[in-house]
Amino acid sequence: MFERFTNDARETVNRARREAEESGADPIGTHHLLLALASPDAGLAHEVLRGAGLDERRIRAEIARLVSTPTRALGEEDAAALRTIGIDLDSVLARIGESFGPDALRTVGEVPAEETLRRRSRRVGRFTPRARKVVELALREAIRLRDRQIGSEHLLLGLIREGDGLACRILVDNGIEPGDLRNALLARRERAA
Amino acid sequence: MSEATDLASAASGTDPRAGLRATLALRRLADSLEALQVDNARRHGWSWQEIADALEVSKQAVHKKYASRRPAAQTWED
Repeated sequence: MFERFTNDARETVNRARREAEESGADPIGTHHLLLALASPDAGLAHEVLRGAGLDERRIRAEIARLVSTPTRALGEEDAAALRTIGIDLDSVLARIGESFGPDALRTVGEVPAEETLRRRSRRVGRFTPRARKVVELALREAIRLRDRQIGSEHLLLGLIREGDGLACRILVDNGIEPGDLRNALLARRERAA
Repeated sequence: MSEATDLASAASGTDPRAGLRATLALRRLADSLEALQVDNARRHGWSWQEIADALEVSKQAVHKKYASRRPAAQTWED
């Protein structure tokens, strides 16, 4: 699948892979690809994204906003604070435990350690279905543009064409029309040629 | 223990620190309960709209907050 990638595109995929691993061994998602494309090392894709107002910092913040779990574990300090307003956390937990099992409330939203490990061994370096689709679409974009190799700009075009991923959601949430980004990229290519 | 008692007497008074800490803890408790019950409702086949109505929030708000954690119901995927 990667034989026709330029070094630049390979590096982009490697950066996306590292981002995925650092975020807890998720498979590589479209948002990891977007982050990798926003790196100054990604050339044209980076310039176009920056021109649209998106840099790595902004994207990281957006990812944190979109994929963070909504809860944090309730600790001893929380229990003490709740007591001050007449709530006994232990009895709340016991009641809920009757229906949902012990610790259900403390661990909701967390991925059990065992599952994390299983995911790690099975999925490291793999792509989510949408991210895989992005790579396939990048190949199609390269063919359509009669380019012999797939560069990082084709990955960005693939990401835009895929349309439904978390990456596109970040674009849309930041007021970026994916079609405009595509046009900006194509225009820049022509100027560079 | 004495720390908790100190905190208790402080919170029933007007110490902002203790009062705010209790507010934070209560929010964490509410968030945990909400997450647990949203999962529960989804397992019972409730739609995002039904869950949103029950929580008196918009469907977009509840979907945005919880859908990404549940691959089966995901619209925007990673």
